[in-house]
Amino acid sequence: MQQQELKEGVNIGVNAGEKGMVQVFSIPKSMKENFRYTFCPGCDHGIAIRLVAEVIDELGIREDIISSTSVGCAVFLYDFLEVDCVEAPHGRALASATGVKRARPDKVVFTYSGDGDFASIGLAESMHTALRGEKVTSFCINNTTYGMTGGQLGPTTMMGQVTTTSPTGRNKEYFGYPIKVAEHIALCDGTAYSARVALDSVPHINEAKKAIKKAFQVQLDGLGFGFVEILSSCPTNWHMTPEEAHERVRNEMIKVFPLGVFKDVSA
Amino acid sequence: METNFILAGFGGQGILLAGTVLANAFMLEGKNVTWYPCYGAEMRGGTVNCEVVVSDTEVSSVHKQDTDYALVLNQQSFDRFVQRVKKGGTIIANSTLVAESKPRNDINYVFAPMGDIANSLGTSKVTNVVSLGVLSSVCNIVSKEYLAKGVEKVLGEKKKDLLPLNEKALANGFDALLTKV
Amino acid sequence: MADKSNEKVLIKGNYAIAQAAINAGCQCYFGYPITPQTEIGEYLSGKMQELGRAYVCAESELGAINMVMGAVSTGVKAMTSSSSCAVSLMQEALSYASSDELPVVLVNVMRTGPGLGYIYPAQGDYNQAVYGGGNGDYKLIVLAPSTVQECVDLTYRAFYLAQKYRNPTMILADGLLGQMMEPASFGEYPYPEVDVSSWALTGAKGRDARKIYSVATDEKKQIQHIYDLHKKFEVIAENETTYEEFNTEDADIVLVAFGSMTRNIKAAMNVLRAKGKKVGCFRPVTLSPFPYKALKSLADKGKDLVVVEMNMGQMLKDVKYAVEGKVNVSFVSRPCGEWLSVEEIVDAVEDIMVSNTSKSIQPGSVKEVSYAAARA
Repeated sequence: MQQQELKEGVNIGVNAGEKGMVQVFSIPKSMKENFRYTFCPGCDHGIAIRLVAEVIDELGIREDIISSTSVGCAVFLYDFLEVDCVEAPHGRALASATGVKRARPDKVVFTYSGDGDFASIGLAESMHTALRGEKVTSFCINNTTYGMTGGQLGPTTMMGQVTTTSPTGRNKEYFGYPIKVAEHIALCDGTAYSARVALDSVPHINEAKKAIKKAFQVQLDGLGFGFVEILSSCPTNWHMTPEEAHERVRNEMIKVFPLGVFKDVSA
Repeated sequence: METNFILAGFGGQGILLAGTVLANAFMLEGKNVTWYPCYGAEMRGGTVNCEVVVSDTEVSSVHKQDTDYALVLNQQSFDRFVQRVKKGGTIIANSTLVAESKPRNDINYVFAPMGDIANSLGTSKVTNVVSLGVLSSVCNIVSKEYLAKGVEKVLGEKKKDLLPLNEKALANGFDALLTKV
Repeated sequence: MADKSNEKVLIKGNYAIAQAAINAGCQCYFGYPITPQTEIGEYLSGKMQELGRAYVCAESELGAINMVMGAVSTGVKAMTSSSSCAVSLMQEALSYASSDELPVVLVNVMRTGPGLGYIYPAQGDYNQAVYGGGNGDYKLIVLAPSTVQECVDLTYRAFYLAQKYRNPTMILADGLLGQMMEPASFGEYPYPEVDVSSWALTGAKGRDARKIYSVATDEKKQIQHIYDLHKKFEVIAENETTYEEFNTEDADIVLVAFGSMTRNIKAAMNVLRAKGKKVGCFRPVTLSPFPYKALKSLADKGKDLVVVEMNMGQMLKDVKYAVEGKVNVSFVSRPCGEWLSVEEIVDAVEDIMVSNTSKSIQPGSVKEVSYAAARA
């Protein structure tokens, strides 16, 4: 009985089986039933993927989803989501997504990439997809480094940051500057929504989920390109504990990469 | 039996179109035919040319160094393609824009004031079609009747109103020379 | 102009490929301009809009080929077209598409290379098409038209084979064929529609989610996957290898060429026959799978071969491989530009019949660079 009173589609309504008890937290339906995250301990990919899955559940679009994802830690999305997925080579997720959407305009298409994929090797594809106003949704995980290959300088590496390929820290003379992805995407006329969120705290995670939902909603409403840059921790390559890593996101990254909505044509 | 034609002139003189009409005429007559343009950067040099090859059997080379017939509408094209006419071949030139010279003595020359004939019809734009009429009058395998059908095909429904003018251009070109070379 | 009727129309090779793609049911075209194939995109840009199909001016060839991969993963027919140096940019994606078993259709209207080269016609992409520039063990299906009519016929076939075998398929034409006009008729798309419902991505409705990817973290599975791809290509070779032979029965010497050079060797054969020389022609229609068996059977009958190509000897290696050293294989070539003329081929073959030496013919003259006799 209690089950029926709960909102359909929100995954807090599964009866735990025990009399008088209601399960208030479970794996989203859009995620595989039996899986273990293969990410490093403390990595925020797990939170980001879960948020995407929750939003897919809430919007009731799982059966219409086709996802294009490419190379980097983000590629393992395949292993965790129970949605159709096609692979793209490194950097080409947005080109692949364009192809999928043009072939099947009735489907809901999203990409999930790291900053290296979205904003370095794939910057041309990403930005032109936004400029064309493709009705797809895209998430970019910004952790200021190339995670999968072991923490090299990437397009979002912050000034002064030490990586395996910037051993004395990023400096402008030698390495130039990091890209502020969400702001750039917001400048594209085809973009319907562009926001930057973080996963370092519960309030920020709640904000992130709203942004992810909005980025899907603008696609569903046919308004254009929906984009969210997600600031995430990479404790392994930052050589920090998960807690320290979240503090870095909070105290250092957000100062350089401010949170907020940079464009919202539906507002 | 394979016969080659090179058509050449200024960009804007309708050379590629004239070649297309000629190739269509051969196709409608049931012959094997190919049309091959100069393309790319060469087009920006000011002259345009295309090659048409007609054959009883499948056409072999669509692009050749030498040619049986050269149909040239300007001086630059005359100077260039007179060198590429086969021994015993023929160059047919628009004497409105080409000086009547004969730099080689092993080929035939036909000069006709194609531009003037076109102008007398009210527009220099039909110089290309006049030139096809001239070609037909000196080259037995180019049929005047099929050229007319070729013009009709290329103009299509959209430009049907231009057909009478072009038919007249073809006829006046054909009559431009009293004797065949 | 061009449509599905059987009436002949005078049409450019590039336009013929484009219209054939429409007739074949190509739902999406993605492309980036490059001479000498730009007309394909130009033609389709308007037509696809009229038909309510997709046309995207991609930001690059990388974008274009990956858009095709995305589109075909959903079960629709899609293609891109490009030329030599820009096809090089697509090699990564072709390797992925092979592993992902995506029915990509790619048209390569060759120009000369290496590097940027120029827009002259050439046949220097045999290796790129047949052996690929992408990583790993994979093979494309490669079809090489020699006439504008075949631009139509082989475009139809490319769409069919790509889906039938879930294998990327390339139409390998050249600038000459792309730019020339010749009469051709279209007719209806002659192949059955392939059922893609067992693998196409359409959303996980009433079934498990489908994943199409090449990332292979399980070694055993990857070994099996490569075996499976290899086996599939053996089936393709068994079923789909096609070639043409002319007058090979009584021939002492057989000329071998692919693509639009085929026209020139056929004409040269006719000239040589008229002179009483017993000459035949052989032409692979599928460069991959390559007709090894058919060439070997010519070698078994003791027929010497003369390979004629507009490159420095790319298909030559496959021909030599096919004949297993049983007969002489000579080579007549020019690297690019002016197609070898019928007369040049005739002269070269007459010389070879006397001396058994290969020739590289220089543009504008018949000056020759002799190689050691190319005994296979």
